[in-house]
Amino acid sequence: MKITDAAVFPYPSGDTSVRRLALEAKTLGFDSLVAMDTPAGSFDGIEVLSGIILQDAPMREVIARVKRVMHSGTVVSVSARDNGFNRAAIGLKGVHILRGIQAADKTAFDHVTAKMAADNNVAIDLDLSVLIAARGIARQRAIHRYRDVLTFERRFEFPVSLSSYARSYLDLRAVREITGLCSLIGMDISGVEKCLDAIGRVMTPPAPAVRVIS
Amino acid sequence: MSPRPPTLRENRRYILVRVEPAGTAIDPKELYYTISDAVTFLWGDAAAGVITQAVVAAENGHVIIRCLRGTEKELALALSTVTACRDVRLALRIVAASGTIESLRERIRAAKPVTEPLTEPATGSAGTGCAEPGECVFAKKPFLLVYCNGQKVDVIEKGFKNAHRLFLTRSDLENS
Repeated sequence: MKITDAAVFPYPSGDTSVRRLALEAKTLGFDSLVAMDTPAGSFDGIEVLSGIILQDAPMREVIARVKRVMHSGTVVSVSARDNGFNRAAIGLKGVHILRGIQAADKTAFDHVTAKMAADNNVAIDLDLSVLIAARGIARQRAIHRYRDVLTFERRFEFPVSLSSYARSYLDLRAVREITGLCSLIGMDISGVEKCLDAIGRVMTPPAPAVRVIS
Repeated sequence: MSPRPPTLRENRRYILVRVEPAGTAIDPKELYYTISDAVTFLWGDAAAGVITQAVVAAENGHVIIRCLRGTEKELALALSTVTACRDVRLALRIVAASGTIESLRERIRAAKPVTEPLTEPATGSAGTGCAEPGECVFAKKPFLLVYCNGQKVDVIEKGFKNAHRLFLTRSDLENS
């Protein structure tokens, strides 16, 4: 099992270099990171996966960009919008994560989208920075939305990933702290471990149900 | 007022936290208000009244925070939501919890000193790409070294504008 932070933003997007993020992530209990717009590599025993986020782009452009990076080992994420867009994005081969569900409108994620995410092995991302840094109504709304997502997750069993969205190593949190934060949304320790391992499951192609031997 | 007998006193626990980035000046009063806000926002006034958090000591880059016994988890969770103290960005990393302040003080003493002298990497022998003593170059820009500890190097861009702190490693400076 690999404990992975599903989104960090190293320098120049943030103020911390990818090497320093890896160093700090190691002390906080992580095995790998998904670093946005950064080449993949391995630093201090921490595997850094390259990631991209596609947002505010029409579906045609999303398809073109996903095709461009398909089979390159890049973790492809799409920012959630309305329900129709989300269903189309989840159905797209090569998309690994649907992000920003807390910022999308109320009907953006329903049982049909949840079923599609489970069928296509697409993770739904929970942004922990909202739980950490937001206050008042913004945090309350995120907690409500995440609880809603987890209700669907228990029913349809799609992967759920956890991201710190760290732009600085100060934004990273230890695995134990993440467990505490996730207890706010009704997630237990085993659930958190499963979510932190979601990137590995999403990036590994599912084993075929039937194998032809001869 | 005479002190309460030990059997009537509240049982308290003390949490030791490390303040990051290293070298951040800590005003215990300001930090108390920050932690108090974090607890109140997360758990509400009623729970904050039970937790009764207080900053007991701030020394050597560490802070000791007091709470009622049995509320350590709630306090620890609230501490993980602290991101700044009076517009200064920081993170509070929980090191240990104990029933006595003295045992936490021992841990602070046992911890490595938070700041190393800046002369060592500035000599250039460590391969930090330093242009002059106390300076280095990263992404073709000159930076001033602020803090070095092992692989970790904190720098600030030279000049009075854009005085943002960057968090790098020695390898970053070697490769730049």
